[in-house]
Amino acid sequence: MGNVIVWIVWLAALFGCIGSGVAVVSMTNPFYSAIALIGNLGSLAVFFLLLQAEFVAAAQVLVYAGAVMVMFLFVIAYLGGQADAPWAGGSSWQRWAAVIAASALLLEIIMVIGLKAGGRLSDEAEVREAFGSPGDIGRLFLTDHLLAFEITSIVLLVAAIGGVVLGAHSRQSEPRYEGPAGVPVSRERSLPPESVAATPHDASGAGVPG
Amino acid sequence: MSIAAWICLLAPLGGALAITLLGELVPRRIAGLVATGSVAVAFAAAVVLFVTVLGRDGEERQELTTAWNWLSVGDLDVGLSLLVDPLSIMMALIVAGVGSLIVAYSIGYMAADDEERRFFAYMALFVFSMLLLVLAGNFLILLAGWGLVGLSSYLLIGFHHERPSAIAAAKKAFIMNAVGDATMALAFFLLVYETGTLDFVTAFERVDGLSSTVVNLVALGLLGGAVAKSAQIPLHTWLPDAMEGPTPVSALIHAATMVTAGVYLIVRAHPLFEAAPSVQDLAAGLGAVTIVVAGLIALVQTDIKRVIAYSTMSQIGYMFLAAGIGAYANGMFHLMTHAFFKALLFLAAGVVIHALVGEQDMRKMGGLRRLMPRTWIAMLIGGLALVGLPPLSGFFSKDSILASALATGDTYGYVLFAAGLFGALLTGIYTFRMLFIVFTGEPSGFVREHLHTEHGEGPRWMTAPVAVLAALAVVGGAVQIAGIWHPLADFLDSIVAADRESLALVEPTVTQDWVTSILAVGAGLLGIGVAWLIYGARRVAAPRMVALRNPLERKLYFDELYQTVFYYPAVGIARGWTRFVEGPLIGGSISGVAGATRGLGRGVGQAQTGFLRTYALAIAAGLAVLAMVFVSVR
Amino acid sequence: MNGPDVTWYLAVAGVLFATGALGVLLRRSPLIVLLSLEIMLNGANLALIAFARQQGDLDGQIFALAVMAVAASEVVVGLGLIVAMARRRLVLDVDELTTLRG
Repeated sequence: MGNVIVWIVWLAALFGCIGSGVAVVSMTNPFYSAIALIGNLGSLAVFFLLLQAEFVAAAQVLVYAGAVMVMFLFVIAYLGGQADAPWAGGSSWQRWAAVIAASALLLEIIMVIGLKAGGRLSDEAEVREAFGSPGDIGRLFLTDHLLAFEITSIVLLVAAIGGVVLGAHSRQSEPRYEGPAGVPVSRERSLPPESVAATPHDASGAGVPG
Repeated sequence: MSIAAWICLLAPLGGALAITLLGELVPRRIAGLVATGSVAVAFAAAVVLFVTVLGRDGEERQELTTAWNWLSVGDLDVGLSLLVDPLSIMMALIVAGVGSLIVAYSIGYMAADDEERRFFAYMALFVFSMLLLVLAGNFLILLAGWGLVGLSSYLLIGFHHERPSAIAAAKKAFIMNAVGDATMALAFFLLVYETGTLDFVTAFERVDGLSSTVVNLVALGLLGGAVAKSAQIPLHTWLPDAMEGPTPVSALIHAATMVTAGVYLIVRAHPLFEAAPSVQDLAAGLGAVTIVVAGLIALVQTDIKRVIAYSTMSQIGYMFLAAGIGAYANGMFHLMTHAFFKALLFLAAGVVIHALVGEQDMRKMGGLRRLMPRTWIAMLIGGLALVGLPPLSGFFSKDSILASALATGDTYGYVLFAAGLFGALLTGIYTFRMLFIVFTGEPSGFVREHLHTEHGEGPRWMTAPVAVLAALAVVGGAVQIAGIWHPLADFLDSIVAADRESLALVEPTVTQDWVTSILAVGAGLLGIGVAWLIYGARRVAAPRMVALRNPLERKLYFDELYQTVFYYPAVGIARGWTRFVEGPLIGGSISGVAGATRGLGRGVGQAQTGFLRTYALAIAAGLAVLAMVFVSVR
Repeated sequence: MNGPDVTWYLAVAGVLFATGALGVLLRRSPLIVLLSLEIMLNGANLALIAFARQQGDLDGQIFALAVMAVAASEVVVGLGLIVAMARRRLVLDVDELTTLRG
């Protein structure tokens, strides 16, 4: 009986996962793609639970679906109309090559796990109840994988700094006005004489025209 | 004795170096004095050597002194060695003695030239090179001297380097000499291969063991070098052109010394030549041909120096003839007397040229007899000596050669004799043609305009050596009077091996001597008479003889022949190679590499499409391939 | 634990990975590309967790957590880039960014 439930849950998660995955890739509106991704993350969390990775599942929902996807949605909201996503373009041979490459990858993966690995993958190890619990993971992070832990935190720090730098509102890199040719000119390039008069306007300007 | 030899050799080199290094620090006159002094020191050393050698006999008279072992390869050991023996001492005396007189003369002659110092450095260098050549103890050092002499000749002929004709003449001389150098080098290679040594003494001892082909080839190679250096037919075309150099150069190099190096070589290597009799006959034959041909061409020359140049060619022909029949002492005797009177002629001609501000065309001269009497006497003496009238030196030396030709007893010898006689006739004609044209008659307009003899006929530096040489030309024959006494022959004989009585292969009888002398003097006088008729008394007009005249004036078309046979094909081949090989192949391959690289770069650059998605695709595809590899290799 | 074998999870992970790859290669909007990239990363994560379960070794889960952290950082930077692009009024189309051409 428990087995049947597991299978049903598994199948449901499967459809959710695959379906949302396809939806992410194929939707035109990036907003819908982001929502689909959230669905995908949820299905994956179910998979993780089925695999006895409770902590990871929780982290997935909290961090990924909660923080990362929210950030995505913020940006998509910010970009607004600019975010209209053209569908695949480019030369047709590229499209076909892409399809072939992706199919090849899939085929290889199937081959490996189906044929090559043989029956070995079917042997599951016996695990205790606490497998995948926060306690176990925490212990590992602080003993065997301490280095990975620390380096990951540094990576996060670097990313945060990068994000701040990229998003910085500095005047030097802002296009504030239009030069003589109608092309947005940023201050760091050589100024045409007539725009020198516009400089005082810069100093008093506050926000981005947008 | 060896110290004297080294001093003799190195003094002129020291002089040359001193002049070069001091450069403009010293006044010009000092350069000339240094050069003259260094050559005079060499002469003094040679005299010391001479006196020392006289005091010894036989084997004792030759001494080999080696500074160090220069080249040691396998079995071949070549040292930096000098051989002092009667032959080399005789040559050294001539070279340094006549050389010092000529260098002294140059102090006066070159006084007006701005580059005087360079001239004296070159002259000293030349004397050093010539001494190296004659004092050499083995073939390699001789070759070194040979080459250096060629270099000095090139430098001195082309001394007035702003004149294209001078440069061309210098190149011509050098290249023709290079042909001779090449044959000589080949001969040396063969000699080393067969005998394993280049020392004179050792090589000559081993000559008997060689096959006749080898000996013939070696002798032929040496003969080639001698012919080139001594301007014999067929490698003679450079000598007339060499008159582009200043007159002292013509006197020293192209009359007295360098051109006689070929004769010296044959005499020095006489064991080799005697083992190759056909080559020796060839040498004599070439000499005879040159006597006649050069004499004929001299008949139509208009440049005073070129007449004397062709005369030199002709007289060296006599020396070759002598060496070819084995009359070595006679040949060397003539070499010595010829040095005296030929240098005299050149220097006296130089006085004339100097007085006429550089004019050398005889047709513009005339009537100088009364205006430059001393020069006239000097040239007359030189001319008479050249023609070979007794009791001047040329008589004794030339007639001894002719007598030896007669004494060989075979038909070939008689032919040589006849050629020599005919040459004597021609000598009389062209020599006195020159003398009569230049000195007799009325002074030409040119002479009246340009001749400046207020301060005497020439500076004292020029007239004094001329006087000395004139004296030598008169008495120089006393060293060997046929049939009566022959100290020179005895002197040179002492270098032969023990099993030979004398150096010479032939010994004329007294009758032959007398017959020869009468015939030769007669021929000379006949020639003088003909010249007087045509050019002196002007009784008979010079025969037109266009058919004969034109080829002679064109120097028998030798220059044109060489141009066609050697120059044009060489230039054609060079051009062909440039167009078809160097351009396409070499240049093409280099630019081809460049082009291929560029093309390859362009081709590979196609992959940089700039499209992000292409790059991502490449990554994905690569990943797929890698995965496949990992899966299959497992 | 009953239910499907680990093999099935791996197959799902592979499908996810291939789907994400398709999205990265075919879409022109950088936002969608980033999202597809996330799909791929999630596929990898799933594979890791599956293997961790199969081997009985928690290292796979640790690795998955690290991947998640790195994915988050990468998204931050990527979105920052997109915002910067938008600010400069550049067209949000990866095919238009061809300065690297040559």
